Amino acid sequence: MININYLPVLSVMLCFLAAFFIEIFGSKIAGIRRFITLVATTAVLIMTGLMFKPIMLDGGIVAYWMGNWEPVNGYAIGIGYEVDALGFAFTVLVALTCWLSSVYALGYMNRDHHMAHYDTLFLMLEGSVLGLTMTGDIFNMFVMIEIMTFASVALTAFRAKQEGALEAAFKYLVIGSIGSSLNLLGIAMLYGECHTLNMAQLSALLYGGLTPTTAFAFGAILAGFAVKAYIVPFHTPAADAYAVAPASISMVFAGMVNKAGVYGLIRMVWIVFRAMDIKTIQILLVVFGTVTMFIGVTMALAQHEFKRLLAFHSISQIGYVVTAIGLGSALGLTGGIFHAVNHTLFKGLLFLCAGAVFYATGTTNLDKLGGLSKKMPKTTFCFLIGAAAISGLPPFNGFASKWIIYQAAYEKAVESNNFLFAIVTVAGLIVSVMTLASFIKVTQAVFFGQLHEEHKDVKEAPVSMRIPMYIMSALCLCGGLFYNVVNKFFLHPAVSTTVNVEAYINRMMGDGYAAQYGVTNIAVEPAQFSFWNPLVWLALFAVVFCAAAIVILTGKRTRGKVLTPVNADPKYATFFSGEQEEFSQVGGSDLFWGFKKNWAGYYRVMTGLHSGNVNDYATYTVIAVAIIVLCMFIFMR
Amino acid sequence: MIIVNYIASIMLVVLGLYAVCTQKNLIKVVLGLSIIDYGVNLLIVSFGFSEGGTAPIYSMADLLNGVASHHFVDPVPQALTLTSIVIGACVDAMALSLVVMIYRKYHSVNADDVRRLQG
Repeated sequence: MININYLPVLSVMLCFLAAFFIEIFGSKIAGIRRFITLVATTAVLIMTGLMFKPIMLDGGIVAYWMGNWEPVNGYAIGIGYEVDALGFAFTVLVALTCWLSSVYALGYMNRDHHMAHYDTLFLMLEGSVLGLTMTGDIFNMFVMIEIMTFASVALTAFRAKQEGALEAAFKYLVIGSIGSSLNLLGIAMLYGECHTLNMAQLSALLYGGLTPTTAFAFGAILAGFAVKAYIVPFHTPAADAYAVAPASISMVFAGMVNKAGVYGLIRMVWIVFRAMDIKTIQILLVVFGTVTMFIGVTMALAQHEFKRLLAFHSISQIGYVVTAIGLGSALGLTGGIFHAVNHTLFKGLLFLCAGAVFYATGTTNLDKLGGLSKKMPKTTFCFLIGAAAISGLPPFNGFASKWIIYQAAYEKAVESNNFLFAIVTVAGLIVSVMTLASFIKVTQAVFFGQLHEEHKDVKEAPVSMRIPMYIMSALCLCGGLFYNVVNKFFLHPAVSTTVNVEAYINRMMGDGYAAQYGVTNIAVEPAQFSFWNPLVWLALFAVVFCAAAIVILTGKRTRGKVLTPVNADPKYATFFSGEQEEFSQVGGSDLFWGFKKNWAGYYRVMTGLHSGNVNDYATYTVIAVAIIVLCMFIFMR
Repeated sequence: MIIVNYIASIMLVVLGLYAVCTQKNLIKVVLGLSIIDYGVNLLIVSFGFSEGGTAPIYSMADLLNGVASHHFVDPVPQALTLTSIVIGACVDAMALSLVVMIYRKYHSVNADDVRRLQG
């Protein structure tokens, strides 16, 4: 039996080696290339599965020192790989996403050329994110981030002939490099202060307060990972890149590349800096998260491009995750990790459906699509499951995780007596309603309504593309139905290792190391989900009622009005829509025309801000970084 | 511990950020990115510096005596800087190749012309 401690390094190396071999042997013959890719991704999935029992069930930590350079006199010099339950939770996401994507790409990418490069970059991306989630060395983490950024940029530009692919890749590279440089800056400051790069040792040394240097380093690293997680205002390249990349890659971006940023945030704020009891950090993360979810969903409502719309929803959902992490409670963290996992599943599923639509029809423009449910019933079915899950409808997984987040935010509001957290709870509910509205629009515009003339011969997507969609649909349903099982065997171990860092430190640095610096454990109970608390339901109904009232009151009141020639056709009157387009199913992709009309001022500002100019995007990044670093200094003590 | 190095490195980072935020020419934006990198590299090397230190190599005499007669500069930051320089070179190469391809497609390297994805 293979030593379990070798598995993390083996899986990372396997990906890079496979990438290398594809470039040598697979560039001519498609069969060899596909074989190597599938074998590599499947092997990684199996290795991850082997680690499940020792980490998640037995509560152990897998650790490995490169070249057996173990710590001397309490100082870690070598590079260590350390997988605790938190890292493992994200490793599972990476392995699963990559395996599904590689299966999907068999069918989806079969019309593209230079596929050897695609598979090479894809495996490098997988290897880098695996390395990022499993490493215990902060500089190794930076190197993995850089490889991840390169591979992502190259894959964004893979279909270089597609409109906008090159410019999206360039913007991604610029914003991503600024983020990486910030990370490196922070890491350099940390090294200057602590003279170590091992995260376990850093966690022990930094325990008990931040000095100005480490506070600056914290700000820089936090901003660096926030860039990688694409929270507002760093989200601009994400919206472009997800839209133009091939769907199998968009799924990987939404499923694991921005999860890498989320993982980095959790690792830094909860474990390395242990800053979640500082109120400033809580408020900073919660405010950024709430703004992210709101701006993401409102921008999504205005989109006319299928994948760009999904990209903005992806940003919005990451807002939920960041908010939940920032609540600073174990329940919030449970909700955050659960939602991150669920987001990988349902958003990946939605991107795959968008890819299937693109594969069948050759377009993702919502104005040119319609009525595909007759031709592609299976894709429609999967899409409906994904849409229900992302909108938080029971019994899918999105409902369970969003519910935990609302509950955590509500409890936080009661506990800390801070009105801000109550607003956050309400904002979360309203954003969820708007997500549902947006997906009603997409479903109506793409799958229902009338079929376009040129799409009357479209066929259902091939089996190799449907299998990943089925698997993800099934997982979306299982996550919602068996949330208690998921919590017990997956979320609770992850949350409990995140909160109790003593084991993480001692596993790397030797027993008793953590106690020297006074690091103690906090016992964490498994999160209790009170799905049927009547008071909370009452609050929910009050909020839903208010939201409905706002929508109704701000809408156009047409009752009793004389029909003018514009809206004489009752088809248009029903949905408050004034648009008359050929083939428009009540305004086609413009179902919420009235809403947008009433918010015209907001949308004018927002579309102006998303100007497409790389200088503007860099400026937002710099301003946000300045805000984060200033917060570290002004409010820290 | 050389204070002028710290000031210079932060100035380089700020200059680089300024270039990225204000320069319309995409090649200048790429140069700005590499200037940020150089600033950070200078900072890392400066952290490892120690006054009067030598290269981190023991001579045979040191090993026979069992004690070091001199002190070293910290070798880890130098290793980090080398890695970072290599990565920075890759960033530049990749960004410049993207700019070349953008120029072929858009016939311009002005940031105001390269904005078809917006809103």
